[in-house]
Parts: sequence; structure tokens; C-alpha cells
Amino acid sequence: MKLEIKNISKSYPGQKVFRNFSLAFRENAITCILGPSGCGKTTLLNILSGNMTPDSGSSEGFRNRTLSYIFQEPRLLPWKTVSENLLFPVKEIIDEASRQGWIEHYLQLVNLSGKGGLYPYQLSGGMKQRVSMARAFAFPSDVILMDEPFRALDLPLKNNLMQTFLGIWEEHRRTVIAVTHDIDEALYMGHEVIVFSQAPVKLLDRIIPASDKVTAGKPGKEELRKKIIRLLTNGGNSGQEAQQ
Amino acid sequence: MNNLFSRNRLITFGSVFVLLVIWKLASILAGSSLILPSPEETLATTGRILWSPEFLPDIILTVLRGFTGFAMALGFAVSLGIWAGMAPGVHAALKPVLIAVRSTPVISFILLALIWLRVEQVPVFIAFLTMFPIVCMNVIEGIRSLDPELVEMAKFYRVPVRRIIREVYVPGIAPFLTGGISTAIGFGWRAVIIGEVLSQPRFGIGTLMQNAQTYLMVSELIAWTVIAVLISYVFEMLMRLTERRLIRWKPR
Repeated sequence: MKLEIKNISKSYPGQKVFRNFSLAFRENAITCILGPSGCGKTTLLNILSGNMTPDSGSSEGFRNRTLSYIFQEPRLLPWKTVSENLLFPVKEIIDEASRQGWIEHYLQLVNLSGKGGLYPYQLSGGMKQRVSMARAFAFPSDVILMDEPFRALDLPLKNNLMQTFLGIWEEHRRTVIAVTHDIDEALYMGHEVIVFSQAPVKLLDRIIPASDKVTAGKPGKEELRKKIIRLLTNGGNSGQEAQQ
Repeated sequence: MNNLFSRNRLITFGSVFVLLVIWKLASILAGSSLILPSPEETLATTGRILWSPEFLPDIILTVLRGFTGFAMALGFAVSLGIWAGMAPGVHAALKPVLIAVRSTPVISFILLALIWLRVEQVPVFIAFLTMFPIVCMNVIEGIRSLDPELVEMAKFYRVPVRRIIREVYVPGIAPFLTGGISTAIGFGWRAVIIGEVLSQPRFGIGTLMQNAQTYLMVSELIAWTVIAVLISYVFEMLMRLTERRLIRWKPR
């Protein structure tokens, strides 16, 4: 079954976020949803995860798939060690005998080998976000939803974490839907970049690069960047409300 | 400077020393151990009581009464506190009860308990009533100050509710719980002894204090007070150790 939302409408008091909006997602690829702050990106993730019901319309293909999350804040349980935090969502899924190896594998992927016994307060901000990433990949999900996970980080750390993320993704390919308001982040990570307008959301563009991945410094990146800025500045005057 | 002789410790020792000197001077001024015995006399009486096996049942039974009241208060306070913290309706219903119990003078409860209950049960009941609202309010406060994003994360990952309570809510309220318990033990311990003084069970520190007062054995009365303070201090230390073990995840 395709991963898509169909004819979604969602309003908050005084604000219409989605009006009869449809969108399909590429599977086993990283889709970055780019849009101005407050346009409804997080609302979309909440609808996809089933934690929010749209006023009308439906999301299809998500219910029968398992989801994991990388939030803006790492959301680690402060009273659990790094290993225990990784184990927390998967206790019912991973049998006791394989847990240690499981934890070690994912800690190694995020360059945190040997740090399993530390508590979150003993980790830096970047390390915490790595644990959050490892937790999302350690959970045997089909889809990973990301809500601006690199937002509060400085540029070198952000680049480092994005590289780590792409490294793990290469090894454990999943469908990733990431929302962000950072153009560079979207172009660096995404196999596809979907540009949203201000609410009520219009689909301004779907940027699918010729190659599988847009990377920093690759020819064309600057043109794409300018195009996106233009789209966001124009505010979707030329956008379409629904994408089939 | 090593820990034993750190500045603050020296100040504490100095303060205790000054208090002992004032006590000694006051006992000399009083001129009779029937009014105020000297510190050394009180120390000798305390030693005699602690080394004498005949007082063991009194000490054990008072501690047991306190512990029973504490266990009951803890059980009710944690379960009701978690429930009230998660459900605003339950909190609205429980709030007036907690405020009423906390604000009612202990003596009112003791007088009523003397009518309603057997003498053995009075100190337990009083300990329960004294400790329950303190612990319960702290648990509610703990639940309310728990980061809702952690609970949301657990729900996103479809972690079973039972585990969310055990692994998110319970550890999350632990600092509030231990703080509440620490305060409650102090109040509860005093309430147990007041309960014993007034209900006069066969064995108990409160019963012996009442007897000492009746027969003007002031040295024994103060000695039992010192013993009560020492037991309370031991509990406080045990509580701090437990807290340190339970809350290893907080930076110190």
C-alpha cells in the first residue's frame, strides 16, 4: 500500500492548516518537507503518526506500518542509561539474549561505543541527539518521522549529525519523512524535497534531483536553494492545493 | 582541610558545644535534677536505657507503629497521587480531603481516634493521617512536573501503559517522593509518639515518656526524647541513602 494522505483538512481555532490536501511519499527514501515555521509541518507528522485525527480525509499506508521518531529534543529518559534508553521502546520486541548485541550495534553506528552505561546528564547535546537517532533506528520500524531534529544545534554539529544520520540510513534503509525549515538541511539530506507554503498549506514544489541524493557542494545545489527561497518568498502564489 | 575538620563541620560542633554549655549552666541554676538534670546525667540515663534489654519492646513497637503507618500512607499516597496527577477530575476531588487532613490539628485526630479505635491502633492511625497528605501532595506535584514530552515519546513508540507508569511516571516522581517521605517521616514520627502519650498502649516510647512525666523522672523524659531524636535521625540517614541509590541519574 502506498504511503499517502488523501484530501486532508485540519483546522485549529482561528487557523486553517490543511484544506483538502493530498500528498504521496516515496518509500525507502528520505523525504524532507520544507516550509516556514508554523505552517503545519508538525501537524502533518502528528497526523501521519496517528496522534492527531484530521477533521476530514485520511492517511493511508501508515496504520499497518511501524513508526519511529526523532524529535527536536532528544527526549531521553534521564533516569535510564544510554543502553536502557535504547532498549525502552523495544523491550517487548527484542528477546533478552540478543539485547546486548543489539544495543552495541546501534551505539557503534552513532559512534557511542562504550557509552551505554552513561546517564543523559553525562552526555553533550550532540551525543544525546545521537542516542535519539540510534533509538529510532534500533526500533524495527518501517518509517522514521523526524521533527526538526537538528534545529537547536550549531552548524558543525548539525553537519556531523546529518552525516551520521545518512551513514546509518545507508546501512538500515527506511522511509524517512523529515520536516524542517532549513533549506540547506533539506537539500543535504533529502532524496526529495517537498516545499510547503504558509498555512493553509499549498504544495509549492516537489524537488526530485536527478541523482539519488542532493549533497552539499554538488552542482545545482545553489540553483535549487535560490528556487526554494523564491518559492517561499512568493508564498505559494503559484502553488497548487492538492497533489495527486 | 579534610572533611571531618571542614569549616562548616567545626561550626556545627561548636554550636552543639555551646548548647551543651547552656544546658549545663541552666541545670546548675535550676539546682535540682528534678527540674532540669545535667547533660552528663541525661547521657548516663540514655546509655542505661539503650543498654537495658527491658526497653527493647518499647522501642521496637514504637518503630513498628511508625513503620506500619508509613507503609499504609506510602501505598495510598503513591497510588492516589499518581491517579490524581494524571486525572484532573480525581485531583479536584482529592484536593479538599488532602487540605483538610493536613490542616486539622493532630490532637483532634488523636481525640477522635481514642473514641473510635483500640489504643494500639491510635498511633498507627495518627502516623498514617500525618504522613499521607504530605506524600500524596508531593507525588501529585511530581506527576505534574514530569516532562509531558517524555510521556508523549513513550506513547509514540507504543510502549504499554503499565510500563509507562513503571518506567516513566514512577522514576519521574522519585525525587518528589523521597523529598515528601523525608518530611513526612519527621512529622509522622512525632505524631506516633504524641499518639502513644495520649493513648497509652502497653509498650511504647510515648507511654514511657508519659510515665516519666507523671513520676517527675525528668532525666528519663529527656533521655527518651534524645532516643526518639536519634531514631528519627537514623531514619533520615536511611532515607538519604535510599535517595542516593534511587536517584543516581541526577548530577550532584
